[in-house]
Amino acid sequence: MIKVEGLYHSYSHDDKYAVRDASFEITRGEVFGFLGPSGAGKSTTQGVLTGLLQLQKGNVSVAGYDVKKPVRKMFNKIGVSFEQSNVYGKLTALENLEFYRKLFDVPTRDAMELLEIVGLDHVANQRAAEFSKGMKHRLTFIRSMINNPEIWFLDEPTTGLDPAIASEIKDIIKREKEKGTTVFLTTHNMFVADELCDRVGFIIDGEIKLIDSPRNLKLQYGEKLVEVDYRKNGGTVREKLSFIDESDRRRLNEIVNTGAIEMMHTKEATLEEIFIKVTGRGLE
Amino acid sequence: MKLLYSFLKDMRLSFKSFYIYIEIGFALIFVAIMLFVVPENIRPQVTVYAHIDLPESYLSAAEGALSKEGYDITMLSSREEVESEIASHRSSVGLVVSPEGGKIVYDYILQGYESEKFKNVIKASIEGTFVKMAPGFQDVTSVTTIEGDIEKLSTRLNMLPVFLGLNAAFMGLFIIAAYIFLDKEEGTIKAFAVTPAKVWHYLASKMGVMLVTGLLSGLIATVFIAGGKAHYFHLIMLIISLNAFGSALGLFIASFFDTMTKAMGWLYVSIIILAFAAVSYYMPAFSPLVIRILPSYPMLFAFRETLHEVVDLGYVYANVGGFAAAAVVFFLLSNYRFKKTLTV
Ligand SMILES: Nc1ncnc2c1ncn2[C@@H]1O[C@H](COP(=O)(O)OP(=O)(O)OP(=O)(O)O)[C@@H](O)[C@H]1O
Ligand SMILES: [Mg+2]
Repeated sequence: MIKVEGLYHSYSHDDKYAVRDASFEITRGEVFGFLGPSGAGKSTTQGVLTGLLQLQKGNVSVAGYDVKKPVRKMFNKIGVSFEQSNVYGKLTALENLEFYRKLFDVPTRDAMELLEIVGLDHVANQRAAEFSKGMKHRLTFIRSMINNPEIWFLDEPTTGLDPAIASEIKDIIKREKEKGTTVFLTTHNMFVADELCDRVGFIIDGEIKLIDSPRNLKLQYGEKLVEVDYRKNGGTVREKLSFIDESDRRRLNEIVNTGAIEMMHTKEATLEEIFIKVTGRGLE
Repeated sequence: MKLLYSFLKDMRLSFKSFYIYIEIGFALIFVAIMLFVVPENIRPQVTVYAHIDLPESYLSAAEGALSKEGYDITMLSSREEVESEIASHRSSVGLVVSPEGGKIVYDYILQGYESEKFKNVIKASIEGTFVKMAPGFQDVTSVTTIEGDIEKLSTRLNMLPVFLGLNAAFMGLFIIAAYIFLDKEEGTIKAFAVTPAKVWHYLASKMGVMLVTGLLSGLIATVFIAGGKAHYFHLIMLIISLNAFGSALGLFIASFFDTMTKAMGWLYVSIIILAFAAVSYYMPAFSPLVIRILPSYPMLFAFRETLHEVVDLGYVYANVGGFAAAAVVFFLLSNYRFKKTLTV
């Protein structure tokens, strides 16, 4: 559904690239997570893919359309949610959606229904300017699904939302995924990525470092750890030991033999830890 | 359809913002000033000191004609008296008319004020009397009227074209740019850009709002000030074409910038330059080429034409056509540019 080859983008039209030689492919029905710290080039990539930024170098095709030769019809098939909410403040939530609906040539979803999904139905007739940040964000989010997009671009859909709403948004994305929607999801929240994505791409300083499924990444990079709590000199001590490391294994045996273990559990590496391992950088 | 929906949405937005009310309020204030402060006709306050060495009937004909035109006339009995009077009154004119060998000699002592018009009034009235009194009389000098047979508008009506030019026609230049930068700031332009609607839908719907505003303010002012004297159909055609030109030009200028602050300078300069035409409109004697080539120059006269009893249709529609063509050109250029830069 999305094919990117050798994509470069420079805002200053010189060799200061915000995105450098990015290549990846997303198949139909896949949820692809684009992960990276702030300023990595995630939104820039989404901008080029959705035609908001001009394609300067490389080949990009989205839903079968060559982005180099933009065709307006393409937008019937895609939905875009933005990291900064952008709704008409002077219009009500309902008016915003009703207007947006009419710009598409394909069947659209009922505006009230969408508002209900994210719990905005009780403020449907309130001007969006009076909304809180999270409310505006939710409105921007549901607007992006009004045309039943085949490809759904989500830039930071859960950032800045309270945990309950963030988890609701996650559920909505899951449901759309089950319907077969292809999703390009940008985030720096590893838990969201881990839960939703079939594959993730790590991007840093405009370069994609690695692309794989969260499961493969964990198998490959995540060493299995064991956490043991045991009694020693009247107190409790906790140690983290690797299954792979030779000396760690010997140490574990020693502790087991003392018989003083209170609690012991294995722990998987998180995507975040893997990200740090692969890129040498944290996500925030 | 998308164009219609965008337009309706933009209309709704504009009714929820201040600008349209400011524009209408401004039209009403203009009307109020025109009706209550500006007299229908401002009369020239010029004193004429005259010595007319002709029979009484000529004298009173000249006197009557001059006072009808608003001059204040004082008859004196010799040339010397005329000269000494005007020497001590700066904004006055002197006139000595005397017969000489069967001809009439007009001697004007002018101080630069309305010389041509004044001469015409004098000649016309005195010679008119000659024709009446002696049917066989033939004048050797010819009377040339400077303004030809162009109708004179009242002071109020004469001011209306300038208001129409600045508010109904060219205000859109500024405001349309402001609207676009507002959308950019709010980010809604990006949301629009990821729908199948086209860039020209977006631009044209904004122009539609400018047009409605321009027509409203222009017609409000005209209805109150000119009443039944205006030719509304031609006027509306003119406003449509000029307003489209103004906003298309505004779009074009805006397409070069990414914030209002940066575009402001150019927009402001273009409005000021266009406004210069008003100077020549009020002082026809000062109309250098640089002003006559401004698009606002023919525009003002075209507006004035629609207030005349007899409209010079050729002139009005040359303007309608010319400005409409220019509007199309600027619109196409803007559309071409904005396709690339609208969301950057
Ligand atoms: N409009 C712009 N003009 C110039 N430079 C820009 C612009 N937008 C982004 N950049 C630069 O491009 C680089 C990538 O930015 P981008 O917005 O793609 O990052 P991101 O991965 O989406 O970050 P975040 O997680 O903070 O949203 C950054 O160095 C940023 O400063
Ligand atoms: Mg971003």
